[in-house]
Amino acid sequence: MSYFFDSKNTKQMPKGRVEGIAKVTGKAKYSAEYDIPDVAYGVMVGSTIASGRILKMQVEEAMKAPGVIDILSHENKPYVSGFSGMKEMPDNRFGLPVFYTDKVYYNDQPIAMVVAETIEDAMFAASLVKAEYEEAIPETDFAKKVKEVSLKETENDRGSVGAWENAPYKVDQEYTIAKEIHNPMEMHATIVQWKPNDKLVLYDKNQGVNRVQSVISSLFDIPTDNIHVISEFVGGGFGSGLRVWPHTIAAVMASQQVKRPVKVMLTRPQMFTMVGYRPESWQRVKLGADKDGQFMGIIHQARNNSSKIQGFSDGITRVTRKIYGFKNVKTEEAIVELNLPMPTWNRGPGDTTGCFGVESAIDELCHELKLDPVEVRLKNIAPYEMETGLPWSTNYLNECLEKGAELIGWKNRNPVPGSLKEGDYKVGYGVAVGMWGSGRSYTGASIDMQKDGVITVRTAMTDIGTGTGTGMQNVAHTVTGIPKSMIKIELGNSDFPKAPSQGGSRGMASVSSAVYAASLALKRKVAGYAWPDKDANSLNIDDISLSDKGVTYKDNFVPYADIFSKNNLNDIKVEEFAGPGEERKKYGFCSSAAHFYKVKVHEKTGKIKVDRMVIVVDAGRIINPKAAANQVIGAGAGGIGMGLMEEQLVDFKTGRLIGNDLAGYHFAVNADVPLIEVSFIGKPDPNINPSGAKGLGEVGIIGAAPAIANAVFNATGKRVRDLPITVERFFNA
Amino acid sequence: MKPFEYTKPKTVREALSSVTKHSHYIAGGTNLVDLMKKQIDEPDKLLDITNTLPDQIEVKDNGVVIGAMVRNTAIAVNKAILESWPLLSKAILKGASPQIRNMASAGGNLLQRTRCPYFYDLTLPCNKRKNGSGCGALKGNNRMGAIIGYSDACVAVHPSDMCVALAALDAKVNIRKADGSEETMNFLDFHRLPGNNPEKDNNLPENALITSIFVPKNNFSKHFEYLKLRDRESYAFALVSVAAALDMDGNQISEARLASGGVAHKPWRWTKAEAFLKGKQATAENFAEAARIAAEDTAPLSTNAFKVPLLKGAIETALHTCLTNKA
Ligand SMILES: Cc1cc2nc3c(=O)[nH]c(=O)nc-3n(C[C@H](O)[C@H](O)[C@H](O)COP(=O)(O)OP(=O)(O)OC[C@H]3O[C@@H](n4cnc5c(N)ncnc54)[C@H](O)[C@@H]3O)c2cc1C
Ligand code: SF4
Repeated sequence: MSYFFDSKNTKQMPKGRVEGIAKVTGKAKYSAEYDIPDVAYGVMVGSTIASGRILKMQVEEAMKAPGVIDILSHENKPYVSGFSGMKEMPDNRFGLPVFYTDKVYYNDQPIAMVVAETIEDAMFAASLVKAEYEEAIPETDFAKKVKEVSLKETENDRGSVGAWENAPYKVDQEYTIAKEIHNPMEMHATIVQWKPNDKLVLYDKNQGVNRVQSVISSLFDIPTDNIHVISEFVGGGFGSGLRVWPHTIAAVMASQQVKRPVKVMLTRPQMFTMVGYRPESWQRVKLGADKDGQFMGIIHQARNNSSKIQGFSDGITRVTRKIYGFKNVKTEEAIVELNLPMPTWNRGPGDTTGCFGVESAIDELCHELKLDPVEVRLKNIAPYEMETGLPWSTNYLNECLEKGAELIGWKNRNPVPGSLKEGDYKVGYGVAVGMWGSGRSYTGASIDMQKDGVITVRTAMTDIGTGTGTGMQNVAHTVTGIPKSMIKIELGNSDFPKAPSQGGSRGMASVSSAVYAASLALKRKVAGYAWPDKDANSLNIDDISLSDKGVTYKDNFVPYADIFSKNNLNDIKVEEFAGPGEERKKYGFCSSAAHFYKVKVHEKTGKIKVDRMVIVVDAGRIINPKAAANQVIGAGAGGIGMGLMEEQLVDFKTGRLIGNDLAGYHFAVNADVPLIEVSFIGKPDPNINPSGAKGLGEVGIIGAAPAIANAVFNATGKRVRDLPITVERFFNA
Repeated sequence: MKPFEYTKPKTVREALSSVTKHSHYIAGGTNLVDLMKKQIDEPDKLLDITNTLPDQIEVKDNGVVIGAMVRNTAIAVNKAILESWPLLSKAILKGASPQIRNMASAGGNLLQRTRCPYFYDLTLPCNKRKNGSGCGALKGNNRMGAIIGYSDACVAVHPSDMCVALAALDAKVNIRKADGSEETMNFLDFHRLPGNNPEKDNNLPENALITSIFVPKNNFSKHFEYLKLRDRESYAFALVSVAAALDMDGNQISEARLASGGVAHKPWRWTKAEAFLKGKQATAENFAEAARIAAEDTAPLSTNAFKVPLLKGAIETALHTCLTNKA
C-alpha cells in the first residue's frame, strides 16, 4: 500500500511532499476510489421540509426503478444498538440518529438511502423517493431569533466590570458573520465492507481513523479491533472530517442490510447540508482603555446557531481570554437553535470568529485614541497565560507584529482613513492578530526497517493535505540519519499505531514526538544488534547514527547486511508512543500570527481587492518550511473568502440553502488572492515536545478577516462589522 | 438523470426532421447536461448539432457572421473580432472558465438558462421551471435578481456576458425554423421579458435552430469596455455588468452604446442614457448623468437594492475606461 513513492525510483525522490508524485499522477487513492468487488452504490435522500414529522415514506416507484436493491429509511432500518436504546431526541452524542427518527429537524436531513447496482441507478431512484409529511413552521432566520436567546456566563471571568466602568476610551459594537461551508475538494465518501465474524472495513474520508473506529464501535456494538478504517489520502477537511456523519453510519447500516459492500459519496450540494459548516454568529464587544491605549477591560458576548437536533457551541469568546492581558474579562455565550443542518468546527473554530469581533473593536478603539494599532497591540499582549497564570513556554507574538510591520511597510500607512490613493482605488492598510492554544496529544508511530536499510514510518494519523507525512519523513531523517530517499511514510490506517484526529493544529506537534521517539528506539535497537556485547541502553544516543548502509557508533561501523544475516532477521520493528506530560502543568503554550494586509477599494464600484498579505507566524520550530508555508497560504486564502465572499444563504421560508454548489457559494479563487507573503519566527519551543514544533494550521486564518476589514476602514473610512464584506454590506456601512 | 436517446445529425435538414416533442439540440452541453443531471430538463432525445452547424467566422463587407457552433474561445481570440469587435471578445473572456468557454458554442450561449438558485432546486417553487408553482425568489432571497423589466411571476436575470456585448453591438440572429424556412431576428428582440410566461426565455420558435450570429460593422473598436462586477474575480456570474462603447469625434461622443447584464430577464440596453450621451462631451459629469438616467428606471427587489448604486458606479467606470481602453 505504499503509494507514497515508487520504491524502484528512490534515488530521484524530489524535494516536495512525500505524497506529491502520487497525487499529481493520480496514483493516490481517495476513499471513493477503491475498487471493491461486488460493491453496491448508496445515495442519500434528504427531507424536503425543515420541521415536522414523516408520516409515510413513499418508495414504491423508486423500488421499481432499474437496478434498485433496497431503500433504507426509519421504516425498515436495521438494528443499531447505539440508536435503538436512545432517549427522546434531541439529546444524543452521535448527532442525527439517522433512520432512527421520524422527526425532521432541518431541510435536507437524511431520511432515506437508495442502494442500487450503479451510481446512476441509485441517483435516479433517489430522485423518485418521496415522503408524506406533517409540516411545522420552521425557525431558520438567525438574525430574527438571535436576541431572544439569553446569554450564559462562560465561568471564566476575571476581575470585574465595575473596575473599568469609567475607562476614558470605550468601544461597544456588534459584529456578525455568515455561515461558511468547509467545501474541501474531495467529497465525503465511505465504502463499507463487512467481513466474516463481524469484522468491518471502512474506506472513509475523515480526519481521524481512530475516532471513526470508536464511534462505529459504540454505535454498532462491535469491538474496535474488528473495525479497520483506511483514510490514506484525504483531499482536505478543514474540520468537516472530525465527526462521523450520518452518511457513514447509513453506509454501515446499508451494507449490513444488503449483505454487500456499499459505497456512498455525497454530492456537492449534500456537502453543504450533511457534513457541517461554520455556524452563523453574532457578537458584542465592549472594550475600554486608558489614554495610552492600555486595555482596562472587555465584555465579549457571542451567540452562534446550531441545529435543533444537537446543540453546538463554537467557543467564540475563548480567544478574548487568551491573546491580551486584560485584567477584567467578562465573557458570555449562547446557542441559537434553528431548523438548519448541524454546524461543526471549521478551521480555527471559535477563535476565527471571536477574533473578528475583538480585533475589529481594537481597531475602532485605536482610531478613537489616535494611536497606532500595532503599538497598542504590542503594549497589551498577555504577559503569561491569563487563564491559568502559567508563564508562556514561548510566545513571540510581539516579534510577529514587529516583523510584519516591517515587511508590509507599515510606515506608509496613513492613520487618517481615505487618504491614500492609487489610480481609481483608495488604498488602506490593516492589521490583526490571531492566537491558538498549542495542543499535543498522545500519539503513536512505528518504524519498520528492511534488510536494505529502507524504513517505513507509520501512524494512524491522517494527512489531510497538511504535509504531515513530509514532516514525519523530515523528523525520521534528522534523528536517524537515514537519507530521505530511504524513508517511506504510511498513514491514515487504523492498523497503525493509534493517533488523535488531525485537527486543532495538533497534528505535527503530536506526531513529530512519536516519530522522534520511534527514531531513537530504532537507533538503539539497531545498535543493540550490531554490538551485542555492549548494553545498548547505556550507549550515548547521539553517538549512534544510521546511514544508507549501516550503523555507526563512534568509530565503529556495521553494515545492515551483517546485522540482518547474523541475527537472522527479516526486519527490525519499533513502536513508540509520546504525549504531553508535566510541562503542561508548568507552562502555557500558544501559536500566534500577525496579519498585515493592504487593500484597494474602487471609488465608484466598491470593488475590494486584497493587494498584499503579509502573514508572520510563531509556530515554534518549522519542520518543513514548504509544507508549513503552504498551510498558511491556504489559510490566508480562506481568510479572503471569509472576509469578502463566503456566505451560505438560506431561504427562510423553507430552510433550504440557496445556491448550494460551487457556482452559487463563492470561496476565493486565484484571481482574488495576491501572492501571500509568509514568514516564520522559527524559534523552537523548548518545552512543548522534543521537536520544538507548535501547531500552525489555524493561526493562518485567525485574524485574517479582521485584518481585511481594518484595511477597508483605513482605505475608506467605512467600518464594516458584518462578514463577508460583500458589495451590499460595503455600501450599507 | 433520466435515460435518453442520442443521435448526431449531419445536416440541418436531418436535424430539423429528427425533432420530437421532447427532444433537445445539444451543442457544447455545458448548460444542458447540468440541467439534465439536476433533472430540471428531462429530454428523451438529444440531437447533437456539433457537426451540423457552421463553426466558421466569416468577415463580410457589412459585418461578421459567427457560425452557431463557433466555440466561445474561438470567437474571443479571433483576429478579426479582436480588431473590429473587441468588446465582444472582452465580454466572452469575462464569462465562465477557460474549460467551459472551450466547449460552449455561440448558439448555446444565447440559450443558456438563468442561474436563479430557486430554479435549480426542485423542491422550491419556480414559475420558470413549472409555471403556476410560484416564484420562490420574489419574496425569498433575490440578491442575484432583476432590477428592471421583471414581473411578479419571475424576477430572474439572464446570465450571459457575451449576450450583453451582442446587445450593445446591435447583432442579429439567423435562424432556421422547423419547417425549413429562414428568418433573421434583431438581437434585442431575441430574448424576452418574463411577463406571465417566464418558462419562455426567448422568442426562438419551437425546435428552430440558431445557425449564425451577425454583428454589423461599427466605429466602436477604439473606445469600449466590458466591466463585470461579481462576488469574486473569476468564475462567477455578474451581479451587474456593463458593456460600453463610444464612437468619438475628438472629445465629442458621436454615438454611444450601453448595455447591462445581471439586471434583467434579458440583456438590457440603456437607450435613454445612450441618447443623452450622443453629441455630448466625454466628461465625468456627463458620464455620471448617463448613469443616473439609466438607474432612474430601475426598481430593486427586497434584497438587491445594492445593485442600483453598483450599476451607476459600473456605468461611470466603464465609460471612463472607454476613453483609455485603446484596443
Ligand atoms: C460553472 C459555469 C459557469 C459559467 N459562467 C458563465 C459566465 O460567467 N458568463 C456566461 O456568459 N456564461 C457562463 N456560463 C454559461 C456558458 O456560457 C454556457 O453554458 C454556454 O455558453 C452554453 O453553450 P453550449 O454550447 O454548451 O450549450 P448547450 O448546453 O449545448 O445548450 C444550451 C441550450 O441551447 C440549445 N442550443 C444550443 N445550440 C443551439 C442552436 N444552435 N440552435 C438552437 N438551440 C441550440 C440547447 O438545446 C440547450 O437548450 C457558465 C457555465 C457554467 C457551467
Ligand atoms: S425568479 Fe424566475 S427563475 Fe427564479 S424562482 Fe422566480 S420564477 Fe423561478
